[in-house]
This record gives sequence, C-alpha cells and structure tokens, in this order.
Amino acid sequence: MKPRRLRNVAAQTALIPSWLIVIFAYIGTIAWTIRISFTSSGIFPHYDWVGLKQYDRLFDSHRWVVSVQNLAIFGVIFIVGCLVLGFLLAVFLDQKIRGEGILRTLFLYPYAMSFIVTGLVWQWILNPTLGIEQAMHAWGWSSFSFDWLARGDRAIYLVAFAGIWQSAGLVMAILLAGLRGIDEDLWKAARVDGIPAWRIYLSVVIPMLSGMFVTALVLLGIAVVKVYDLVVAMTGGGPGISTEVPAKFVIDYLFNRQNVALATAAASVMFVAVFVVVGPWLYSQYLRRRPGEAS
Amino acid sequence: MMRSVTKYALLGTAMGLLAAVPAAAQSSGSDGGKDKAEVIHWWTSGSEHAAVEQFEKAFDAQGGNWVDAAVAGGGGDAARTNGINRIVGGNPPDAMQFNTGKQFDELVQNGLLRNLDPLAQKYGWKKEINPVLLSAVTEDGHMYAVPVNIHSNIWLWYSNSALDKAGVKPPQSWDDFFKDADALKKAGIIPLAQAGDAWTQVLTFFNVLIGEGGKDLYMNVVKDRSADAIKSDAFMKVAQTFGKLRNYVDDGMQGRQWNQAIALVIDGKAGFNFMGDWAKGEITHDGKVPGKDVGCIPGLGHNAFWIGGDVFVFPKNAKDEKGQDLLAKVMLEPKVQVAFNKEKGSVPVLTDISTDDLDACATKGVNLLKKEDYVPSSDILISPDLTGSLTDLVSSFFTDKSMTPQAFVDNFADIMAK
Amino acid sequence: MTHTAAETPRGPKPQRMTAGRIGLYAFLLVSAVFFLLPFYVMLVTSLKTMPEIQHGSIFALPSKATIEPWIVAWSKACTGANCDGIRVGLLNSFEILVPSVILSIGLGAINGYALSFWRPKAGNIVLTTLLLGAFIPYQVFIYPLVRMLSFVSLYNTLPGIVIVHTIFGLPIMTLLFRNYYEAMPADLFRAGRVDGGGFWTIFFRLILPMSGPILVVALILQVTGIWNDFLFGLIFAGRQHLPMTVQLNNVVNTTMGTKAYNVNMAATILTALVPLVVYFVSGRWFVRGIAAGAVKG
Repeated sequence: MKPRRLRNVAAQTALIPSWLIVIFAYIGTIAWTIRISFTSSGIFPHYDWVGLKQYDRLFDSHRWVVSVQNLAIFGVIFIVGCLVLGFLLAVFLDQKIRGEGILRTLFLYPYAMSFIVTGLVWQWILNPTLGIEQAMHAWGWSSFSFDWLARGDRAIYLVAFAGIWQSAGLVMAILLAGLRGIDEDLWKAARVDGIPAWRIYLSVVIPMLSGMFVTALVLLGIAVVKVYDLVVAMTGGGPGISTEVPAKFVIDYLFNRQNVALATAAASVMFVAVFVVVGPWLYSQYLRRRPGEAS
Repeated sequence: MMRSVTKYALLGTAMGLLAAVPAAAQSSGSDGGKDKAEVIHWWTSGSEHAAVEQFEKAFDAQGGNWVDAAVAGGGGDAARTNGINRIVGGNPPDAMQFNTGKQFDELVQNGLLRNLDPLAQKYGWKKEINPVLLSAVTEDGHMYAVPVNIHSNIWLWYSNSALDKAGVKPPQSWDDFFKDADALKKAGIIPLAQAGDAWTQVLTFFNVLIGEGGKDLYMNVVKDRSADAIKSDAFMKVAQTFGKLRNYVDDGMQGRQWNQAIALVIDGKAGFNFMGDWAKGEITHDGKVPGKDVGCIPGLGHNAFWIGGDVFVFPKNAKDEKGQDLLAKVMLEPKVQVAFNKEKGSVPVLTDISTDDLDACATKGVNLLKKEDYVPSSDILISPDLTGSLTDLVSSFFTDKSMTPQAFVDNFADIMAK
Repeated sequence: MTHTAAETPRGPKPQRMTAGRIGLYAFLLVSAVFFLLPFYVMLVTSLKTMPEIQHGSIFALPSKATIEPWIVAWSKACTGANCDGIRVGLLNSFEILVPSVILSIGLGAINGYALSFWRPKAGNIVLTTLLLGAFIPYQVFIYPLVRMLSFVSLYNTLPGIVIVHTIFGLPIMTLLFRNYYEAMPADLFRAGRVDGGGFWTIFFRLILPMSGPILVVALILQVTGIWNDFLFGLIFAGRQHLPMTVQLNNVVNTTMGTKAYNVNMAATILTALVPLVVYFVSGRWFVRGIAAGAVKG
C-alpha cells in the first residue's frame, strides 16, 4: 500500500509524547540508576567511582538472598492464585447472574483501599491471639492452631494470600472485559451443537482471551517485582527478615538507611534480572517482525 | 456521544494544563508582615498534636505564622524524603525535623543548612543545652540544628496488678526479672509483651545491652565498635540474656504493634514491656498513672537514661529567614520547652529548668540526667546504614530460637567490623 | 443476599435453577464472604470506642455503636498542628485525579491504537522500554524526576504531578489498549481505511466507541492508582495541591503517637469511596456485544 507511509506520519506524531517520556523519564532514570550504583552516594547522589563495591556488599547480604527467595515463592503463589480466582470469578459473573454490579464492586473493593489499614486488619485476623485462632478458641474449638504469621518459614504465604485478596478482583475485571468482547454468536453456536460450556471455555474462550491474560500476567508480574506496601503492612519484613522482598530492600536503603548507592545497585540488579527473564519474551512478542505483518 | 465527550475532555485537560502553569509559578511570600515558617515534621497523631500545638501557639503569639507540613510514615521516612527532595528541587521548607543523630550529617556537609552560631551566641544556647545533645548538633564547632526534646528508649514498664497476681515484686536486677517472669508464666500471664516490629526488638536489645552490660560496654561496642568488647564475656552475657527473653514472649508477638504490647501491660494481661517513654501517652490515655498503675524502670540493672529525641534544621535559601530565626528562638524558650515536653512525654533539652510539673517517670529520668547517668542514643553514635544492618540481625536473632548467642555475637562483630 | 439464589436471573433467556447454577451462586457467595471479612472487621471497628477495641474481640459487634469516629475522621482528626480531618485536600485530589486519569488513559489508548493498527516504525520499542521500566520501583525515579521537573520549572506544581502520574500510568495503559485492540477484527479497521478515514477519524469514530469494557478497566486501574497515591502527591504536587491521601496517611500512619484504630478505619473507608463509586458506576460499560454489533453493521 502506497499511502501507508504518509498516514504513518500521523501515527508517529501521536507517539511523540510517549517517546519523550520513554527517553527522559525511563531511559534517563535507568541510566542514572546504573551510574549511581557505582558510586558511594549516601542521601544525595554524587558522582565518584567505587567500582563494584556496592554489588559486592549486595550479594554478600543475607537479607538480599532471603529477599530474592521470597520473591520467587510470593510470585508463583500470587500470580497463579490471582489468575485462577480472577478467571473463575469472571466466568461466573458472566453467567447473567443477579446483582452483578454489586458483586463486581465487592470483589474489587480491596483494590481501592489503602493497604496501610487493610494490611493491619489482616494482621489482626491472622494474629493467633487476636484473630481467627482466638475466635475458634472462644467458640470451643480449643485445639485449633494457626500461627503462620509468627513462623519465619510460613509468613510469606500469608503475604501472598493477602495479595490475592487484594488483586484477584482486578484480574477478574480484566478478564471480564475480555469475555464481554467475545461474540454472542459463539455461545449460540455452541448451544446448538450441544457442546458443554466448560469445553468451550477451555478450548475456545481461553485462547481468545490470550491478550487479556497477557495483560493480567504482566500487571501481576510488575506487582510481584515491586511488592512493597503489602509486606510493610502485613509483616514489616518479619519475623526477623523472613518476609523481606527486593523492592523493600531498595526502598529501605534509599530512604531510611540513607544509602542511595546500595539501593540503586539493588534496583539495577532487579532491572537486569527482569531484562534477562522478560526481555526475550518481549522481543518475540513485540519486536520481532511476525510473518504476514507487512500487510 | 462518548467520543465527543472524550475529545472535549482531552482538549479541556490540555487547556487546563497550560492555564495552570503561570498560576503555579507565582510563589507565595510572607503575608501581612508576619514571619512565616513552613515546618515539616512527623508528629501527626492526636496525642502528638497537643505537643506541636505548643510550638505553634508560642510562635504565632510572637508574630510568627506557623505553616504546618506534617507527614507521617515510616518513623519520619516520608517526611524526610519530602523535605530532602524539596531542598534538591529548590523549594526548601523553612524548618524540618530530624532525629537527633547522623541523619542530617550529609546536609551539613553539602552546605545546605544554615549555621546557627549567631543565634546560639545571642541567646546563650551553648551553655544551656544538654552537652550530649549539643555535641550531636554541632559539626566542626558550628551548630546546625535545634534540639527540642529528650526521649529515652531505655524503659521497662511493668504491671503492678500482674506482678501482684503472680505474687512477686518489681525486679531490681535481671535475675529478679527472670524469676518474676517464671512466676508470671506459671500464673498464666504473658511474662513479656513484645511487639513484632523490628525496631521494637532493637529497642529491647538496647535495654539489655545498657541495663545488663552497663554504659561502658555500650559505648565500647556501639561507639568505638571495639572487636575486643564484642568478643568479651560481658557482651556474651548480654547476648544470652537477650536470647533468653525469647522464651518469655507469646505467640501473638508477630503482627502486634507497640501500643498493643503496652496495652497488655496496662490491662494486667502481661507483666513486662520494654518501650520508650512515649508509652506514657497510651497509659494516661487509658486513665492510668505512669509510675503508679504501670511502673517504670529506666534501664533495668545499671540504671541509665538514653539521650535521643528530635531536632529541627533550617535549610538555606528558604523563603523566610526571619521566620526561621524566630522559630529557633521560640523552640528553645524555657516556658515553651516545658509546655511542649510535658505534652510530648519527654524531657526538656535545657539543663537548668524547673521540673516540678513532670510525672513520676520523667522525674526519674531527670534525676539520672542530673547525676550524668546517661548515654547518647545509638542514632547519635552510628549511621542509619549501620543501624539498619544491626536491626536486621537483632530481629532475626530474636524471632528465630534456633540462632545461638554465639552466632549472634559473631554476626554482630562482622557488621561492626565493616 | 441469600435470597438472590432463589430468584430467577434476568437476561434474554430465563434459566432454571439447575444444580450447576446453585453451585455457581454458592461459589460466588463463599468468595463474597472471603472478600468481605476484612471489610467487616474494619466496619465494626470503626463503630467501636477505643477501650472496646483495646479490650474486646476484633470480630465482635460493637456493644454500643458510635459514629463519632467517622465524624472525627472526616472533619476533626488532628494531623500535626491542624485538626481538620481528612476532608482537607479532597478538592486537591480531584484536581489531580481528573486531568491525570484523562491524560494517561488518552495517551495509552492512542498508543495502543497506533501500535496495533498502524504499526509505526520502532513503535514497539516504546512499548518494550515502557514495560521494562515498569518493573523498577517507583521510588528510584523520585530523585531524577525532581531534578528534571525543577529544570523545566514544573516541580511542586499541578502540571508537574499530572505529568508524573501520566509517566507512571503509561506502560500499563499502553499495554492494556494494545492487547485489547490487537484482538479486534482487522476487517473493521480496513473498512474504516477504505472509507477514507484518517488516523484520528478512525480512532474517534470507530475504535473509541468500541472500547467500553477496556476503558472501564483502564479507569479502574488509573483512578485507583492515582487516587490512592500519597508519595508522589506529597513530593511533586506542592503545598497548594496536596492530595487527601497525605491527610489519610497522617491520620493512620503514626509511628510513636497514640493510635486511634476506629478513626483509622473510618478514614480509610471514607477515602476509598471515590474509587468504589467509580467501580460501581463505570460497570455499566461492561456490556457485551458492542464489538459484535459493530462488525456486522
């Protein structure tokens, strides 16, 4: 098509604000972060050069190692939990049920609340002397015991659990939007052919929703890598350092511990790790020219 | 319909953005000849309000105009982040709170804070302010901050009713403490109400280090970072005592906040709690009297007072230098000091001041100060970075019974050697 | 709520109460209970007095309900020297919210549309860089952004904070719209081109009207994120434009002061009302069949 290039001028122009943001805000910040990670900066960035000193300290830090392990545990449970629960809720809400508007808002409300306080409430509920355990004892089930919050090896699961509570509604909304974009005729045709609904979901609908699943997955992935509020509000990183996560490491050193250099070193490692893990996928998804694209 | 709405909304936003630029560019100067001071601090709770109000009232009464910029969060992290970025961005506040200690050192080194020597000379501060605090706000012989209060973190609070129920007396030593704790346990009372936050566990650790180990050990270990002191038997004893405390906490520690921990003591559901003197706020809030219903011991064992607290710094290039001068002067006036510290539950920073109004626990503190039985807070002695590393270690040890005192001491030595 | 299961659902084809549908409602009901449990605790706590909270069970109903905490939270709670509650900054929050939401969603939609239908050269580099950047903790951006915005004299201004929100909203918004539009039938777009539509005409006339459900999702994401933001508002908006969440944070987030849990809960629920209303009202755009109808028509 000949006029394509001409029309593309409009498309290119439309992208100019985004280009500016990408270049200054994102690439600029990434370059700055990497640069500062090679300095000895305290509260204020300054531009000396100490080589890999911060990285040595980072990888020597027990807390960093624990943080990375927790990220893996949290990430798997949180993402799988949100996708499964979010998908089920979306599908069930899509069955022409009564009170959909109310139920939808109800599943979404945790996302709207400041986690400073909802995290505190979860702390209470999960606390053995205040919450569920105490209530069960009061109702006469005296052998009931639930002390995961106090156990260094279990507390991270509860953080993931509260995370699912907070974010599953969002996944539901995204998938529901996708479901509502599916042609009504599909269901009519299926009904005529007598195919059970679950088979349609499994073999037709889920593939059709792949774009929405990718959106949800990326969103959840970003939430996992950046998880901070949830941990601060639920456990403060404790017991001890057993629920620490990388983003909390960065933020603690950036502000409270006044070591910007170590914080940026940690942020750079996070960035490189994401680049290595997500980069190839992003490349194949968005950068590689797909066959038949040059329409 | 929707598309036209969207189109106009987009257009409207763009116009709004353009229109907002000149409006926002004009900065606000001092109004009506009053000396304005915008103050960043993190005293945001209802109980802290009463204290801040004392500053505000006194400042406004002397012709100032207090502009409040309170920001809570993370023990002052959010407020400091805000203030530091405003200095970087060229819009500094007139005054800004820090904890007494090394938190603002870098601002001094970068020449971002006003030198307060002329004011100190004019008002004779250098003779009146507690010497530990004065040296903490002085760098190269120049004064860069105004200390406003002294908080001690080294307090043991105990419930008289719980001790009575267990048939024991308030402890005089750590041996007594553990005897009492065993008796409390037997009586079905939580011996030690401990909160889950790491900083509260660090606070308990310093209680043990100073109370059990004594002032000299504390200074040798924390200030001088002496490897010999850390490897000494005395420090091992501290580690063992601190480790032993792990057996006297209950399951509800994790996820409990400091005020819920002291509430257990106030209710008589727990015997002991280690907390700073701000715990008095919770006690009086419940209609109880500190020193009577809930007893207080400053540094069980070797009694001592811990000198920490808050200071205000005055950035250069702020909008109103006269407002800064006035505010600094007002904050250190004896009358204002007494009024403020009474509300705050802390002790005035001026050495020669009437203490008749103070409660029983604060009076104990002042007596220790007069006898010079005090130590500087760890914030004064070590950097926030090092404090952070110690916090990670102390809370890991306290919450993991499988970690031995020996391992704790070894890790402690490693951190201090760096 | 228990009655709903017995009623006939609306919808084009009335359905009978089968075992499957009972199971469906049962699942939704159980989920609802799970989601509501923390809200229940918050609500009953907000209606109790402090002594009752300190000394009673968290699940118990208030022995004597009081709305005093709600009044305090709204208009009396002290945060520093002032005692005006969380209502301070409500207007500022809207002032920040409206342009930030419109700008970030608008830009994201245009990006998504350009990337999926027009595929401009190097366009996907924008998306991939944005997506990679989205993985860096926001807090790392603060210092560079403060320097950049103060360089162009936008630091501590309303446009400054709007730009910051737009910057951080852009990755997800672009991805969201791009993936939604990617799944749209290309025939539709071709038809628009054949009719002689240009870039903007096709966007406003054809694509945007079909974006209802995804606009709802975008709105949910952005309204929530921007409304609840506290740190950026604090640092970038400047004194005159501090959002309501700064007050909320001051009310609920003291470290050493006395904590009033009942007021904290009330303040949190009050602050969340705006996003909740948006969730509820925008739900009517969650309708099926716009796309299907448009394709055939």
